[in-house]
Amino acid sequence: MAANGGLHEPFPGTAASPPNTFRHREFKIETQKLPILKAGPIDEMTKNLGIAPPEMIFGDNYVLIEHEPTGWTIKFNAFDALDKVDKTGQAMLQVAHSGEWKKSREHHHEGIKEVVKPFDWSYTTDYKGTTSAEPQFQPSTTPIPLGLLRRPDPIRFFDEVMLYEDELADNGMSMLSCKIRVMPDRLLLLVRLFMRLDGVMCRIRDTRVFVEFGTKEVIREYTAKEEQYEILRQKLAMTREDVPASLRDANKLSELVPVVEKTLERVQLP
Amino acid sequence: MSDLDRQIEQLKKCEPLKESECLLAKPPNLIPLRICGDIHGQFYDMKELFKVGGDCPKTNYLFLGDFVDRGFYSVETFLLLLALKVRYPDRITLIRGNHESRQITQVYGFYDECLRKYGSVNVWRYCTDIFDYLSLSALIENKIFSVHGGLSPAISTLDQIRTIDRKQEVPHDGAMCDLLWSDPEDIVDGWGLSPRGAGFLFGGSVVTTFNHANNIDYICRAHQLVMEGYKWMFNHQIVTVWSAPNYCYRCGNVAAILELDENLNKQFRVFDAAPQDRDALLVDLDDLCVWQPMGKRCFMMNQERRQPKNQHQITFYETNLVKFYNLSSNTLALINKKIYGRTKEMILCNTEGICTLAA
Repeated sequence: MAANGGLHEPFPGTAASPPNTFRHREFKIETQKLPILKAGPIDEMTKNLGIAPPEMIFGDNYVLIEHEPTGWTIKFNAFDALDKVDKTGQAMLQVAHSGEWKKSREHHHEGIKEVVKPFDWSYTTDYKGTTSAEPQFQPSTTPIPLGLLRRPDPIRFFDEVMLYEDELADNGMSMLSCKIRVMPDRLLLLVRLFMRLDGVMCRIRDTRVFVEFGTKEVIREYTAKEEQYEILRQKLAMTREDVPASLRDANKLSELVPVVEKTLERVQLP
Repeated sequence: MSDLDRQIEQLKKCEPLKESECLLAKPPNLIPLRICGDIHGQFYDMKELFKVGGDCPKTNYLFLGDFVDRGFYSVETFLLLLALKVRYPDRITLIRGNHESRQITQVYGFYDECLRKYGSVNVWRYCTDIFDYLSLSALIENKIFSVHGGLSPAISTLDQIRTIDRKQEVPHDGAMCDLLWSDPEDIVDGWGLSPRGAGFLFGGSVVTTFNHANNIDYICRAHQLVMEGYKWMFNHQIVTVWSAPNYCYRCGNVAAILELDENLNKQFRVFDAAPQDRDALLVDLDDLCVWQPMGKRCFMMNQERRQPKNQHQITFYETNLVKFYNLSSNTLALINKKIYGRTKEMILCNTEGICTLAA
């Protein structure tokens, strides 16, 4: 298992701890990292969402960017992300051995027909963050200036926050996590959904938020990538990479999985 | 004289052992007993478990499977449990979880760990061969039925479990698969199908019928993460026990074991994770050092930043993301050795002028 950063941190206590706050120029950045939810809050979330939350649900965690003079905010949390998961079962995937499994029970237990609460159990979401009132994001063609991000600027603040994770009953993984880094003149936030259903497909949904402090321009880029598992496995087999390990590495896969949707938006803060 | 010594003496006289003495077929009938759920290679947390529950063989243990995968120490975890089983066959019982399988361990870490620690997959092969001999369930004093996952629509009596030919890889369907994979579910009454397209879910009435038909008090199972370490369902007819604290080193959950005394009175012992050790980080950094010349990754070590004494920081850039690791001097020396030993040139050709490496 590739640990997901933050290993040097102390064991997260169950006691309430204050969020991590960092103020820079006109912006406040806040992150909250707590353990997974207990049974009570999980029941409540299940009721409010209408679907069963993922196995590892960091329901108290969030990342917040606030422009303090105007009160404009963009926030990322698990509940709002899960609220955008398909709850009807229309977009429902089936595990790789499903066909074989159904066939084998053609003559056994035919009386068992009820599919329990169908929904998109892969927890795929196109969540782009929860924003406060005006000003709203507008469609744009201006890309995030990668050149500025590649500069070796000192990093004033960094954090990585898990929002949810599910092992898809040992048929792969689905994980939504958020990373943010703040440099002297700009910040970059990435929220990534990484979903791999073994033998079936892989999805990556990236939302990047870029803030240039000087111009107070905010750029939001959403990229959806998707590929069939077998094609991905073949692509990996042609590299010198270790295939099973690569299939767990969203960064490696990201370069191999084609883009199926991309949107760009911007907000000019006053 | 231990059982094993007695058996050796007996065999020296060319007297065959009884069938029931076959090591992994031994029933766990000794109470008091501690019942433990998933461990998942979290070796130091398992040591914490033994601290809380008492050492084996002074205390009797039943482990409900999922010893391997996900954690950093699947090899050490399973080998210790197995060694205890060989040494004290009456004191410890291991039953099979869905991760005790060739297919699952190739995806979730045990296979890779064996390859990394031994340089070959032989140990993985031996271990997975042993998995085939693990029991599928255990019955405690005829009153508590223990299994990794749950019930199966193909099983209504305990005798039916005894007839399963279990010495094989965990199949994709059928009774053996269900016992290791199925989950109880609140919102279904009888049996339901998982929305994933394979596998069963069972409701309260199924458990009531099973418990009544087999004259048992309750079912004890593992398989599902619960933040509180254990969870009763269906009016105390089934309990989930989870024994991997801070699961995957990031969930922050507590773990539990179920203690049964001589009269089957039960008590849950809840425990926290062991302090995280640096070795865990090292394993992660092994991955970090297996890294390709043409990739977009690069390191930045010891940035101009104040660090606590004896601490160094690596910043690890990957396609616009960034990761920090705080490292001790020893760990840093090890990494330096790895990097300079194998990949120094790669680092230089990779930096694209944006990263520097300082020892």
